[in-house]
Amino acid sequence: MPLDTSTYSLALLRVDGRRWNELRRLHAQIRTQDAADGSSYLEMGHTKVMCIVTGPSEQQQQRRGQTSQRDAAAINVNVVIAGFSSVDRKKSGRNDKRIQEIEVTIANALASNLHTHLFPHSSITISLHVLSQDGSLLAALLNATTLALIDAGIPMTDYIAACTAGSTSTYAAGDDSADPLLDLNNQEEQELPFLTVATLGDSDRIAVLVCESRVQVTRLEGMLVVGVDGCKQVKQFLDQVVREKGAEMVREGAVEKSDAMGMVLDE
Amino acid sequence: MPITVLQPQPAAKRQAAAMSVDSDSDSDSGGGAEVHGEDILTPGTVITSNSQWMRGHGTYVQPGETAITSSLAGTLTKTNKLLSVRPLRARYTPEIGDLVVGRIVEVQAKRWRVDVAASQLAILQISAINLPGGILRKRTETDELQIRSFFAEGDLVVAEVQQLHQDGAASLHTRSLKYGKLRNGVFVSVSGIGGGSGVVRAKRQVWTMDVANAGGKVDVLLGVNGYIWISKHIESDTNAEAVGINRMEESVSSKVYSSQNDPLELSTMREIARIRSVILALVENRLKVDEDMVTKGYSEAVELGRESPDDDLYLGGEKGQRLAAALTGH
Repeated sequence: MPLDTSTYSLALLRVDGRRWNELRRLHAQIRTQDAADGSSYLEMGHTKVMCIVTGPSEQQQQRRGQTSQRDAAAINVNVVIAGFSSVDRKKSGRNDKRIQEIEVTIANALASNLHTHLFPHSSITISLHVLSQDGSLLAALLNATTLALIDAGIPMTDYIAACTAGSTSTYAAGDDSADPLLDLNNQEEQELPFLTVATLGDSDRIAVLVCESRVQVTRLEGMLVVGVDGCKQVKQFLDQVVREKGAEMVREGAVEKSDAMGMVLDE
Repeated sequence: MPITVLQPQPAAKRQAAAMSVDSDSDSDSGGGAEVHGEDILTPGTVITSNSQWMRGHGTYVQPGETAITSSLAGTLTKTNKLLSVRPLRARYTPEIGDLVVGRIVEVQAKRWRVDVAASQLAILQISAINLPGGILRKRTETDELQIRSFFAEGDLVVAEVQQLHQDGAASLHTRSLKYGKLRNGVFVSVSGIGGGSGVVRAKRQVWTMDVANAGGKVDVLLGVNGYIWISKHIESDTNAEAVGINRMEESVSSKVYSSQNDPLELSTMREIARIRSVILALVENRLKVDEDMVTKGYSEAVELGRESPDDDLYLGGEKGQRLAAALTGH
């Protein structure tokens, strides 16, 4: 229906006019809320999310369920999907299993990436708000979280950059070599098997890999390769956003300039 | 006839932050550090692989490797052989000797837990405060029983960081007449370190200023942690030299732990509110908050207030920008 695969094989263009390996328009802002410790706003095509980081801070009355009495900071993730974010207005319950799974996925990915051992007895709270959804939701949330955590000045190993990849090939057509697709929108997500992949920085180390649809195992490798390649492009973009903000702050005199040049250090 | 699709033309550059990464052109970032004057380090950037350097805050070494890598977005600081990354913005980290304003959040058996905007609550021991009833005396069980009569939950205190614990938590003390419970004023919170706004460590964090419009004298207390207290200046009724340094504590301690505000004139309150607006305007326009800026900003604000018939105190938006422009001289 929405994505006629026969059309794709003719023109090699997707419903929104992209080629198989093109990302949608990315736009991001860092430090959008002055009162928060860290904040960001990210758009991947028509998927728009907002992230606010509070902490690391110590709650005076710890809620019993949370285990922050450890030698590392606890990470709490809250995802709120706005009622107006998709085409049909759905009222999602308080414990929607899908949202809960997204929260746990993000928290686990961050737990291995952030240097939480530097903040004992404290907790980092990440609030994510989905303003508009058009596919690649988990990927957009992960990217926004990375930006907000950098803004909050929380030490981390590397960027977590995420995107999705899908596969157009059908078993019936027997076209095993059909193109995998990068960065799916909502229509494509409905039609095709897809996975969300997140990598650490420029490396090929995978931080998150989620695949909820049935897909033939032979297609997986192609999807993964395309996804990892997309993650690198996303990482470049995120890095550029942070660097521009940093350069702006250095110019304003908000932060002192670096002491030494790279060349000097390597001597 | 086969359909051909031409390579899409690159779109005109929309915004500065818009995507500019081409799918096949990769900027080279494999080499060593590329730190230039205006450039910043971002998480995962290798600073150096030379083993003569030591790693400091904001850096890490991956197990099995020797390269020092940045874990923050910020600028590089070099202290002898120690490399650390100064974050663009982060929460306050306590240092010994810092003057901080804090709020009591928890009362325990022999100590209070104080929110000082750091990653952990600070500790104020009952043995680290001036107990009422005279010269430095030992604390007794009676003091422990009436611990809430000194500080209760929600009280604001000004204190000094006495020591830092292994896990980064701070211990405070108020063993000076300058420190103690805060009253007769208003609390303002600005962001933590970095980010170009907020309180900077300066020679003087506390000062008394004469305010306009017959407001009397006002104390301004800039906590290094970004918590600020602006209050009416209270002259101590006994002359310090007459009482002598040891008896001084005795004479004031009766009032030190009072939670009752003194009567404040409306004119003083207005000027306190004006100083608060000045500080918020400084933060909004990303200027540093220190004695010099606040006093200069205040006199500008008094001038600005005279322009409106009812002496407007609000300094947000366009008025704040005018204030900032006057201060920076642009």
